[in-house]
Amino acid sequence: MNSSANTTPVAPEGFNLFIYRVKKKFTGPDPYLTVAGVFLWLFTYWVLCEGLEIWRFTKLPGPVAISKDWFSTTPFQGISIFTAEYYEHIYVSCQRILIAFGIATGLGVPLGLFMGWSRSIRDYIFPVIEVLRPIPILAWVPLSILLLPGFEGPVIFLATLASFFVTTLNAMLGVDSIDEEYFRAAGCLGSSRWDVFKNVVVPGALPFIFTGLQISIGVAWFSLVAAEMVSGDLGLGYLIVDAYMNNVTVPMVIAMITLGFIGYFSSACVRALGDKLMGWHVKELAQQGR
Amino acid sequence: MKEESMAKNTSKTEKKGALSIKNVTKIYDPTGVNVMAVDNCSMEIAGGEVCMIVGPSGCGKTTLLNAIAGFHSITEGSIHLDGELLCGPERPKAEQSAERMVVFQHGALFPWKTLQENVAYGPTVQKALSPSQAMEKSGQMLAEAGLGNFIKKFPGEVSSGMARRAEIVRALINNPKVLLLDEPYRAMDALTKQIMHESLLETYDRTGVTIFFITHDLEEAIFLGDKVHIVTTRPCQLKKTVEVKIPRPRSYETQSSEKFRKLLVEVNDAVHEEAVKAFKAGEREMA
Repeated sequence: MNSSANTTPVAPEGFNLFIYRVKKKFTGPDPYLTVAGVFLWLFTYWVLCEGLEIWRFTKLPGPVAISKDWFSTTPFQGISIFTAEYYEHIYVSCQRILIAFGIATGLGVPLGLFMGWSRSIRDYIFPVIEVLRPIPILAWVPLSILLLPGFEGPVIFLATLASFFVTTLNAMLGVDSIDEEYFRAAGCLGSSRWDVFKNVVVPGALPFIFTGLQISIGVAWFSLVAAEMVSGDLGLGYLIVDAYMNNVTVPMVIAMITLGFIGYFSSACVRALGDKLMGWHVKELAQQGR
Repeated sequence: MKEESMAKNTSKTEKKGALSIKNVTKIYDPTGVNVMAVDNCSMEIAGGEVCMIVGPSGCGKTTLLNAIAGFHSITEGSIHLDGELLCGPERPKAEQSAERMVVFQHGALFPWKTLQENVAYGPTVQKALSPSQAMEKSGQMLAEAGLGNFIKKFPGEVSSGMARRAEIVRALINNPKVLLLDEPYRAMDALTKQIMHESLLETYDRTGVTIFFITHDLEEAIFLGDKVHIVTTRPCQLKKTVEVKIPRPRSYETQSSEKFRKLLVEVNDAVHEEAVKAFKAGEREMA
């Protein structure tokens, strides 16, 4: 559009760049393969449950039964995109995740950075964390119910705990991963200890921190749902168990799929935030063709 | 007596950055077995001199540089800069300071800062300039070094040659007395290296900063240096000093001159002997 035979082509910017990228994406096989893949899985699922009605699979709701209920204004088994209850469960779970992930990140990142930065802080705290970390989240359930009142407290506590360990460890390893020469260069250039923390430790650890945050938000969802199944009054995890208890399988699967999509979306948000904060890293990887 | 001669030295040459390394010894004991990296090594480097250190791999050259920069302590001896004690018996480890700037073997521009931010970093944290002034000066200096179009780029986006040039600018913006370079052009191809040499010589002719340059490349050593100090294999001692009396400014044609070739043979003879010793010592250690 901008280029002709005798003028140098102008690189597209802004909206045009976006359009260019979308167009370019559809010239390759990737998007078509993704669509084909999704349909292949759905088709297999349908064949097993509804097409051939294979033994045992008949107990599960097939894709047709699920979508009929999911998109119906009058769902047969109670949950659809038109019922307020559905959104209440989603809202409660998301709110819990936001709180848990927020607390875990707010505590874990600084703690991990300080542990990586200062030998003595690490000596104080790291062994304790390493002993607590392998304890499975479900093993914390009774303790958290004893310790915290109500439904919300224990559920949020469990999600926070799981997420916290991952975040802390990754932030610490992030500092360890920084090349010693950056610290030396910063020293030569006349940095105070605080300058080093701001300009070397934090940005140098960011790639690891964001890898950690992506894992940690996944772990947060994972432990949240487990906690909601054990002790909860609302939320997607509770919905799954409740549906199972009441022998209504469609809402169970709807809740599972919903969790999948929300989980995917939340990781994508974390990834996008990371890419925004680490322009240098994205460009470096792009330079290496990755 | 030694103190006197040194004082005379600094007053005679007005240029700053005279390094005096006296009887420096460094012993490591990482596994309880003492390893002597540097043994009673002495060197005098006049202010504004380009001093090239040549020796076999792992001989302790970098240990010497680390001691001057203040990254490591020394076990015995002393190092003075312009008559001031950097490290010695009372103070085994020199303090890190912007008067002694290091350019690293693998390059240590902060990858998370643009070239301009990298260069502006020193004066900003030293509070020598306000952040905006520092950025302005940094932009100017990068432009002078031929990097004007790349100031907003991250180090990962430019070639290794450009990054190395920017790193030298980052050092020079602090007006250091001494520039310490540890094989900065090691991983570069011959053509890039040539450009880097010319750029460094041009910088030197402009600033007259003292340069302490570690290298394995003998041609590089003679082409750049005023003096080539050949050191022995571990423990590091001064074996021989070769003066390079080729007038400046030098251009790459210098390298094909008769004088240059003769110096190369002289240096090569001294280094080869040490390299053979180092190799044999390595074989013994492996066996």
